Amino acid sequence: MQPNIDEALRYLGIRSDPENTIRRQMTLLADEISSQIKPRFLWRMMPLTRSDDGILLGDILLTGQSAERMLHSCQRCAVLTCTLGIEFDTLVRRMQMRDMSSAVMLDTLGSAYVEAACDEAEEEIRSRCPGMYLTDRFSPGYGDLPLAIQPQLLDLCGGQRIGVTVTPSLLMIPQKSVTALIGVSDSPQMARIRGCAHCSMNQSCTLRKAGKTCAV
Amino acid sequence: MLFEHGKLYFLDGAMGTMLQRAGLKPGELPELLALTNPALLTDIHRQYIAAGAQIVYANTFGANRRKLQKHGRTVDEVVSAAVQAAKAACAGTDAKVAVDIGPLGELLAPLGTLPFEEAVGMFAEIAAAGERAGADLAVIETMTDLYEAKAALLAVKEATGLPVMVTMTFDESGRTFTGCTVASMAATLESLGADAIGLNCSLGPQQLLPVLRELCAATRLPVIAKPNAGLPDPVDGHYDLSPDAFAQAMVDAVKAGVSIVGGCCGTNPDYIRALNEAVRDLTPGERTHTPRSIVCTPTTPVVIDGVRVIGERINPTGKKRFQQALLENDLDYIVDVAIAQEDAGASILDVNVGYPGVDEVAMLPHVVQKLQEATTLPLQLDSTNAEALAAALRVYNGKAVVNSVNGDPRVLEKLLPIVKKYGAAVVGLTLDENGLPKTAGQRTRIAHNILKAALAHGIPQEDLWIDCLTLTVSAQQDQAEETLEAIRRVTNILKLRTVLGVSNISFGLPNRLLVTQTFLIRALSAGLTLPIINPNQKEMMDAVAAFRVLSGEDAQCSAYVQRFAQPAEAAPRAAAPAAAMTLDEAIVRGLKADAARLAKTALSETPGLALVEEHLIPALDKVGADYEAGRAFLPQLLSAAQAAQAVFAVIQEDLAANGGETVRKAKVIIATVKGDIHDIGKNIVKTVMANYGYEMIDLGRDVAPETIVEAAVRENVRLVGLSALMTTTLPAMAETVRQLQQLPDPPAIMVGGAVVTPEYAASMGAHYARDARASVEIARKLLG
Repeated sequence: MQPNIDEALRYLGIRSDPENTIRRQMTLLADEISSQIKPRFLWRMMPLTRSDDGILLGDILLTGQSAERMLHSCQRCAVLTCTLGIEFDTLVRRMQMRDMSSAVMLDTLGSAYVEAACDEAEEEIRSRCPGMYLTDRFSPGYGDLPLAIQPQLLDLCGGQRIGVTVTPSLLMIPQKSVTALIGVSDSPQMARIRGCAHCSMNQSCTLRKAGKTCAV
Repeated sequence: MLFEHGKLYFLDGAMGTMLQRAGLKPGELPELLALTNPALLTDIHRQYIAAGAQIVYANTFGANRRKLQKHGRTVDEVVSAAVQAAKAACAGTDAKVAVDIGPLGELLAPLGTLPFEEAVGMFAEIAAAGERAGADLAVIETMTDLYEAKAALLAVKEATGLPVMVTMTFDESGRTFTGCTVASMAATLESLGADAIGLNCSLGPQQLLPVLRELCAATRLPVIAKPNAGLPDPVDGHYDLSPDAFAQAMVDAVKAGVSIVGGCCGTNPDYIRALNEAVRDLTPGERTHTPRSIVCTPTTPVVIDGVRVIGERINPTGKKRFQQALLENDLDYIVDVAIAQEDAGASILDVNVGYPGVDEVAMLPHVVQKLQEATTLPLQLDSTNAEALAAALRVYNGKAVVNSVNGDPRVLEKLLPIVKKYGAAVVGLTLDENGLPKTAGQRTRIAHNILKAALAHGIPQEDLWIDCLTLTVSAQQDQAEETLEAIRRVTNILKLRTVLGVSNISFGLPNRLLVTQTFLIRALSAGLTLPIINPNQKEMMDAVAAFRVLSGEDAQCSAYVQRFAQPAEAAPRAAAPAAAMTLDEAIVRGLKADAARLAKTALSETPGLALVEEHLIPALDKVGADYEAGRAFLPQLLSAAQAAQAVFAVIQEDLAANGGETVRKAKVIIATVKGDIHDIGKNIVKTVMANYGYEMIDLGRDVAPETIVEAAVRENVRLVGLSALMTTTLPAMAETVRQLQQLPDPPAIMVGGAVVTPEYAASMGAHYARDARASVEIARKLLG
């Protein structure tokens, strides 16, 4: 598995790099990451039930319209935790003290890498659900799905078993960690999560301020 | 002794798995069952005892203050009830009860935000409650962070008199999730006084077997294996090993030398019964542990089985720039000194921060923590201040070495208990209350006395390193041979490792390097394994590389060949001939080495201040303008900033050496707010602003509002930069701004970070800093 360099370049707001110098450095750093860091993930399949207040994932109440829209036709839901581990945090931290420029590139490559690992996890989940349809992957903080369920989701999935923790201010450590929900349904699912409206960065995205998009 | 050599001991199996089977829902706090349904716990313990368990773990794994206070319960009542429930099951049997201590669920600082002493306090509470309730021993388990394991072990030993087992969770690669190695775990926990160590959870016994073998070879303590029943299926939650398959796989672990066995997730009494039947008639495999000298950090064990260079540069003696850094609390400079030595090939770094005007008791632990964020190398704490050493050893992550004690009984009595308590190695100088003896024989005798004292304090032989002391050859010429002879005797007769600072030898002579290098080679030949040198001196490291070839340590001469096969300089990033390059160009293109070299040349004609105003700032502005126009990107902006930083370092060095007006402009405080640990954005701003001459006071991440206010007042700062990355930490930012604005003469505030918007900034009464470049513009406007 390798981080997607185009994606990492996009996170840096780089559309064209005529001399290819940044891309060259990113390629070297991507090799370093994939040789040193092994992403870990685990997931657990949970039944979904309905209550008057919203959808219940195990005992966790998923309030709001986003969960309703994503999961209304689903019977089950996979809860996923994925992380690059604290070794990646350490790698970036050490790099920041040596070379800030490389550290920034490393950091964005890490974001792309953990997404790649989530994609792999999603493929594994798909392979365990033959004949079923999966929703897009979504996480606490997406739309109106509250960030506050982060600790419960992590507990439910057993994320501690791959070293993921959450602070009282709901930050996950290691920094490149993702918890996500993927609904499983017996009917086909639309792709829904596209465009700035669904992105949690939409208020602060530098690309958007400049009138551009990252095309996700 | 709790565990007899050569005897097998049986632990219980999973508690959580049994509780889920009894109807515990995911997300429910299992520890509360001690109060609501103690009979259920007693029944489970009884089943395990009936299946052959001799030690049962009370249901206290997560019974820490943080988790319990959410439910309005105290640690004391929950732990006490859980231990009672276990003791009830043991009644009438020989089974013993362990108070069980699991991870706190939050990572310790600096990786996370939980302060080390707070963790120690939380662990101590559980252990003490367990002892009061009558537990026979304590077990610390499922640890993945060696630092947290150390906090727990220290807590148990400080708060109770209980024997203690420690198990950590490793994956197949032989590392924990935080990167801790088996060798580092064994060295650290054994030195800190654990009674038995081992592995639990994570995988099945088969996958853990290689890791268990490694552990058996790395420690003299009894080894514990409490693995899972294989791996769980994500869809139905079932573990894939049957009781028999589990038990058969454990036979190999016992044959490998494991003597304390049990089961973790997915196991139940059937597994423990099968395990008992399969291994009870076996004798644990003979262990072949050979004591070895080792110091470590979690990720980097350094075994002293060959020449290991100790870097000497973190020391203010005779270094003006270093002294200034210490007095100004400029830890970034000290970190740079560490990184340079690591990159030059040092294996251990000596850390000395003793200087008039520096509070060593506060500074040494502070520097140790900062260095451990920057480098993976083990540290040698160089001080004779007992209080400073204790404070630094306490927060050190891994196994450190103390430099130094000597043969004076008062010194030994004062320092050896600290070395023992915190599980360090120690350097003994061959001098005593009567001074430095002249002959090799007398020095060897002192070394022997130190050895006897160390052993009497329970410090093993391999953890004592002897320094036979170098004297200046131009002043006392006969002493060079005495030092070398003492090294031979200490190595061959006392069988101790030796340390030696060699640079002193050549003091006062021309071409010092040649004399020092020759002496180093002779000392290595005499048996020296731990030279303390300046690893940045290429000739010294060349000599070490050559010696390793001749001694056979460098197998196939591969390290030597690699060292000299590499081109001296990496290929330049751009094709332009360096000779024709201007300083401005070097900065713009981010060429650090060239920029520093050109700055050095320029300084002979231009004062530092003019260099900054006429070259550095305009060059940075050019890159800044390109960045704003989308012609350059963040990595390039930062490369330029780093090149500028190299120029700054040259100017600072020059100023420290020659005296002169400082090039620093106004002070700016920068911090990531309370609760937030994503600080790369803040660090980007710091890097860029520092190169415009602002004196950046970096308070770090997860910084409380009060700390920021206090620093703003103390430093009389006119601009404070705050960063927050999460919606959940925005309130902490608003609170910090509010507190700053209540000051009689409030500083200006700029805020930034992914979730901060211009509107939100305005609503708080702060300037909005879109990025690093914008921060510079704000500072220029406000501070000039």
